[in-house]
Amino acid sequence: MSIVDLEAKIPNNVGLRDNKRLTMALEKWQPKFIEWWKTLGPTDFNEDQIYLRTAVGVGQGGWAHFDYVKMPDYRWGIFLADGPDDRQIHFGDNLGQKAWHEVPGEFRNRLRRLIVTQGDTEPASVEQQRMLGHCCPSLYDLRSLFQVNVEEGRHLWAMVYLLQTHFGADGRDEAEAMLERHSGDEDNPRILEAFNYKVTNWLDFFCFTAFMDRDGKYQLASLAESSFDPLARSTQFMLAEEAYHLQTGENGVGRIIRRTGELMKEGQDPRKVGAIPLDMIQKYVNFWFTGSMDLFGGEDSTNAAEAFAMGLKGRYRESDGIYKDPKALNADYKLTVPTDDGKLEEKEIPLRRAMNAVLLDAYIADCSRIVDRWNRDLKKIGIDQRIELPNRRFNRHQGVYAGYKFNPQGELIDEATWTKEHTNWLPTQADREYVDSCMIQVTEPGKFANYIAPPHKGVNDQPIDFEYVKFH
Amino acid sequence: MTNRLCYVCEGGDCTEKGSGDVFDQLRDLVREFDPDEERIKIRRYPCFGACEQGINVTLYPDKVFYSHVTEADLPDIVAHIKGDGEKVERLTGKCEPDVEQIIWDMLDSPY
Repeated sequence: MSIVDLEAKIPNNVGLRDNKRLTMALEKWQPKFIEWWKTLGPTDFNEDQIYLRTAVGVGQGGWAHFDYVKMPDYRWGIFLADGPDDRQIHFGDNLGQKAWHEVPGEFRNRLRRLIVTQGDTEPASVEQQRMLGHCCPSLYDLRSLFQVNVEEGRHLWAMVYLLQTHFGADGRDEAEAMLERHSGDEDNPRILEAFNYKVTNWLDFFCFTAFMDRDGKYQLASLAESSFDPLARSTQFMLAEEAYHLQTGENGVGRIIRRTGELMKEGQDPRKVGAIPLDMIQKYVNFWFTGSMDLFGGEDSTNAAEAFAMGLKGRYRESDGIYKDPKALNADYKLTVPTDDGKLEEKEIPLRRAMNAVLLDAYIADCSRIVDRWNRDLKKIGIDQRIELPNRRFNRHQGVYAGYKFNPQGELIDEATWTKEHTNWLPTQADREYVDSCMIQVTEPGKFANYIAPPHKGVNDQPIDFEYVKFH
Repeated sequence: MTNRLCYVCEGGDCTEKGSGDVFDQLRDLVREFDPDEERIKIRRYPCFGACEQGINVTLYPDKVFYSHVTEADLPDIVAHIKGDGEKVERLTGKCEPDVEQIIWDMLDSPY
């Protein structure tokens, strides 16, 4: 079990006290991070006391501590999950060899790019969500937002630690650049397109955490299999925190759907009482789910094949042994692709080239589960309408379906049909304006905006009407 | 190493109901007769989606979905895992079949 140093300027379980050079580098970066938080984080709430969970260790059960804290004073730390020193590589070409504790020279650039791409998403989401506190539906939800934000900040620390420790001057430059790129900045945007989208309301936020953070879960899970042991252990611990973010999104969208369903059952028109109609929620689900799928990269990808072969990224739960061939050499993946004559045909590609698609399959199955859960609530309430997950081909801007038009059922359609119909499938400006108009700040403990049902229970055994945020 | 897996749900609801303790105890009980994971691997799983029926525990590839699991049920589950006992029927069939199927679909990788 690693030793956790909570007294250090940067809490950690990576032995920072014994590494002066690294400590100096991180302590030099720390004030820049705080400055970034105070400038581009949820700046208008920096003086408020938030009831937050803070990571204080990596052991199962009791790894976190809850208390009131001002966000700029949050103890962002560096934690790696414990693991065996003699871990072996369990997939790819180097199967059976010892996992690496240093970066192999030949994989340096690719590993750095993976870490930077992952790291860049963490501050990006904080920037995207920075104004939502002004229209929070409850104190409970406001706390959830800030919990997600500070933990995304900690995930940035996790990636910066890897860069500063293992990538020398290049890593230090990359760490700086992650604070210089900004979400939506025309001149210096975040790396992945979806992390430049606007998040202007809480339906956006909950869809973001339900779908985009779920993509994050799968990316982290594939990195948690990595042969580069510090990356694997770092992302394993990030996954423990990420679970709460996914729950926030899944439950948040579910509570909005439940509230709408309850109002419909009472015979009320959701639009007349500040709630969000199901068809509008469906459009948001379509938008965020499809945007999230783009983050997985191309379904047929030589980059993905190489990352697997090198042992940098594994399949979801690779180490559980649920796959037949840990080298993935003797199988093909069936991919449905559009043809030039306007049809769809099945094509077989080597499994290694389909690693992004395999990960996407696991993600889609997970998303089906959460939509199924929302629909069970509607059924219980007695509402027949359902939320549906659009087909993986719909509204794609990356991968084999980019450049083609499909309807939400996955049928290839022509440009004219798309032009005519797409406003029925994706949020329009009017939809956005309507949803934004529902966003009224509610800060009385235990009270909730009319478009969202209360949660079933509070945080950390606290009651729902607990004062989760104390305004200064 | 075996490919037989036992997953204990650690979703929000199951965790609140004590799935962390269930996991620890189950792992310790199984280690008594299978210290090197030669017969089964005990792992945590993020969320099965059968939150109201938690704590949920699954066996794969057996495709057994146990719900409402408490620490008191663990000796029977362990007997089933070990092969000394039958499937614990009182803990099965609690969640909707389509929820179970989604989980098996996720685990039934053709690769």
